[in-house]
Amino acid sequence: MTDVFAQLGHGFAVAATPINLFFCLVGAIFGTLIGVLPGLGPVATISLLLPATYALSPVSAIIMLAGIYYGAQYGGSTTAILVNIPGESTSVVTAIDGYKMAQQGRASEALAIAAIGSFIAGCIGTVVIALLGPPLALMTQQFASPDYFSLMVLGLVSAVVLANGSAFRAIAMIFLGLLLGMVGMDLNTGEARMTFGLVELSDGINFVALVMGLFGVAEVISNLEGASVRIVNQMRIGTIWPSFSALRGAWGAVLRGTALGTLFGILPGGGATIASFSAYALEKRVAKDRSRFGNGAIEGVAGPESANNAAAQTSFVPLLTMGIPTSATMALMVGALTLHGIAPGPMIISRQPDLFWGLIASMFLGNAMLVIINLPMIGIWVRLLAVPYRLLYLVIVVICAIGVYSVNNSSFDVYMTVGFSLLGYVLRKLDAEPAPLLMGFVLGPMVEENFRRSLITSHGDPMVFLQRPISLALLLISAALLISIMMPAIRQRRVEVFQE
Amino acid sequence: MMRIAAAVLSAGMALSATAASAQEWPSKTIKLVVPYAPGGYTDSVARITARYLEKELGQTVIVDNRAGGGGIVGSDLVAKSPGDGYTLCICSVGAISVAPVAQTTSYDPVKSFKPVSVVSTIPQTVIVNPSLPINTMQDLVAYAKANPGKLSYGSSGAGGLMHYSVQLFDARNGTKMTHVPFKGGSPATAAVVSGEVNLSFTNMTDALPQMEANKVRALAVTSAKRNEFAPQLPTVSETVTPGYSVESWNGLMAPASTPDSIIAKLSDVLKKMAADPEVKKSMAVVGASTEFTTPDEYKAQIAAEVEQWRELLKEIAEKKN
Repeated sequence: MTDVFAQLGHGFAVAATPINLFFCLVGAIFGTLIGVLPGLGPVATISLLLPATYALSPVSAIIMLAGIYYGAQYGGSTTAILVNIPGESTSVVTAIDGYKMAQQGRASEALAIAAIGSFIAGCIGTVVIALLGPPLALMTQQFASPDYFSLMVLGLVSAVVLANGSAFRAIAMIFLGLLLGMVGMDLNTGEARMTFGLVELSDGINFVALVMGLFGVAEVISNLEGASVRIVNQMRIGTIWPSFSALRGAWGAVLRGTALGTLFGILPGGGATIASFSAYALEKRVAKDRSRFGNGAIEGVAGPESANNAAAQTSFVPLLTMGIPTSATMALMVGALTLHGIAPGPMIISRQPDLFWGLIASMFLGNAMLVIINLPMIGIWVRLLAVPYRLLYLVIVVICAIGVYSVNNSSFDVYMTVGFSLLGYVLRKLDAEPAPLLMGFVLGPMVEENFRRSLITSHGDPMVFLQRPISLALLLISAALLISIMMPAIRQRRVEVFQE
Repeated sequence: MMRIAAAVLSAGMALSATAASAQEWPSKTIKLVVPYAPGGYTDSVARITARYLEKELGQTVIVDNRAGGGGIVGSDLVAKSPGDGYTLCICSVGAISVAPVAQTTSYDPVKSFKPVSVVSTIPQTVIVNPSLPINTMQDLVAYAKANPGKLSYGSSGAGGLMHYSVQLFDARNGTKMTHVPFKGGSPATAAVVSGEVNLSFTNMTDALPQMEANKVRALAVTSAKRNEFAPQLPTVSETVTPGYSVESWNGLMAPASTPDSIIAKLSDVLKKMAADPEVKKSMAVVGASTEFTTPDEYKAQIAAEVEQWRELLKEIAEKKN
């Protein structure tokens, strides 16, 4: 315990250097900005900025990218509350009661509770990473290939369970992602696989090209489609501090949301969106008077906003301790670490203590910065909504192209981005979420690698997956999860949660 | 600003001399291609080299990372570039001596390039998991012979140097060990530590920290001579396999059509660089020994290596049939 605090102190020394403070602030500002702007999410933004982090040290790069992720959780709520436009998918439920509160003249109260809830949740989530990270990493050092294989199977199964909408489509997307991940050199034989003789594909499909196309540009296309004139109603926000009675009504929701978000962040396939939906459902369930919901209940803002930020922090736990991304954003973080030559996994904490503890400390600082950025400066952010989309999108697409090109100085990657943009648009039209695809793409090669390696070291005996206790336990959990989505009663419940 | 100045300067030069001959080289920015990602080992070597070339030649040298296909993409690009001395490559053993034998590449390791000099070398270290009753290279051969196929070794991927060096070892000693590929040398080394594989012929850079922590037992180095960073380790050649020599190198290469006068000028600079204490110190930080070879020596070395791997593959193929 004291050790954790000593380490955390070291982390603060790393995070508080001027350069890291600066990039933490840049991340927080960028996060708030894209959180405010609808149609541009953290996944797209992080993929856009990924090539730019090349010039930074890995620690500054990760601090900034993380700042974007949790910063977006703050910014997303602002527009959801003030103009009923959720800037992020994680703030969709916030808009329900938040906008109602704003209409009733309680905008400041809603904004404040969203920011305070986010701050409390962010701090608690960060403590959880600090406490849980090292022991989990120590445990995963016992992992051998069969265990990793089973862990990733669990990750893929959870991605299905927790995906929005149809489970069938989610499974299809995962398999498409797995297939795309197969492209490139076969590890065991060195033969090129599905490359059509293109040398550019011999290392597999470029990750940055894939995410920029699927998430960045595709999002731009579908947003332009529905681009209508947005009327931003100028309302007075007034003082930002909530009354004591409002706070008293919300603190339970903040704590419940934090607990739920912390849990969902750690779960594979979880993440901030599902956490906020579940928190709203939970608040509705525990409330004495359910009719208040949808009519400006403060718990309907406090719960989901706390949950999404807690989840944004704790989703770093599986990434930093096991090297397993639990969401599309975390898959991007894997890409970012790899770009900097750091293999995500249990060795990060012992080999890169600066990175691990520096990141954690930066989250405390970043959350504090965000409260300041968001509360007193709220007017500026709202005004951003007036920027015409046709200008914004042009900039985004050009930055996309430059960014993709700069990773490998390869025009082939730019063409590939164009291809994936079209694919991403088509998938959107088919109501197929690209997030499970990304999970499949990132986890697929790892699944294959560990599966084949397990079989080589066991001399072809598949029982190796059942003989190791860790592997067996993980496979049993995966099987249970799979059965649960087959069962009609639970399937019904799942649909309900998403519809709420 | 610097660029504009350089452009003006080079334009002026072009006017004064009707044809820019090789004597005036270099008159503009030189592009040093690195066929691997930034931040890696070859990239570090290239940046050290680029800094020195810049100082000695008085021209800007930019490092251009063209990663892909285990170094094939970038090496291919250089092979196809004009031989004007403005596109050079810090190539490495994998894409030059091994890949053209093991795979199809559109370049020929001997004919498509003019090698200048080896810049740095790193030997491999034979490391085993300490729980094994193997303390010397002799033990290793005896154990492998007594238990064919039972010992497993980790590599950085099929067709990489870590894979082929063990294949060569197996072929020379009549042993047979099971290949377990990983994605890169560092996870393969970690697998020896955890005991997931029994041994590995690992880059010295990856092996040293584990050796110091007593997490692995080091038996020998694969180079022809003992290594300065671990002089206590014998070579594979002096213990069980006379003549065995595998070394990972990085070297400066130019497209085949580059004039000999430019190669000679570069060779002079690299000779000075190999003696520079600052350079040696920076190379040691990444675990590399600084080297110099003449263009002819370098060319002969590549040809000999290609021959060695070609014969090995033939041998393996014959055994299979």
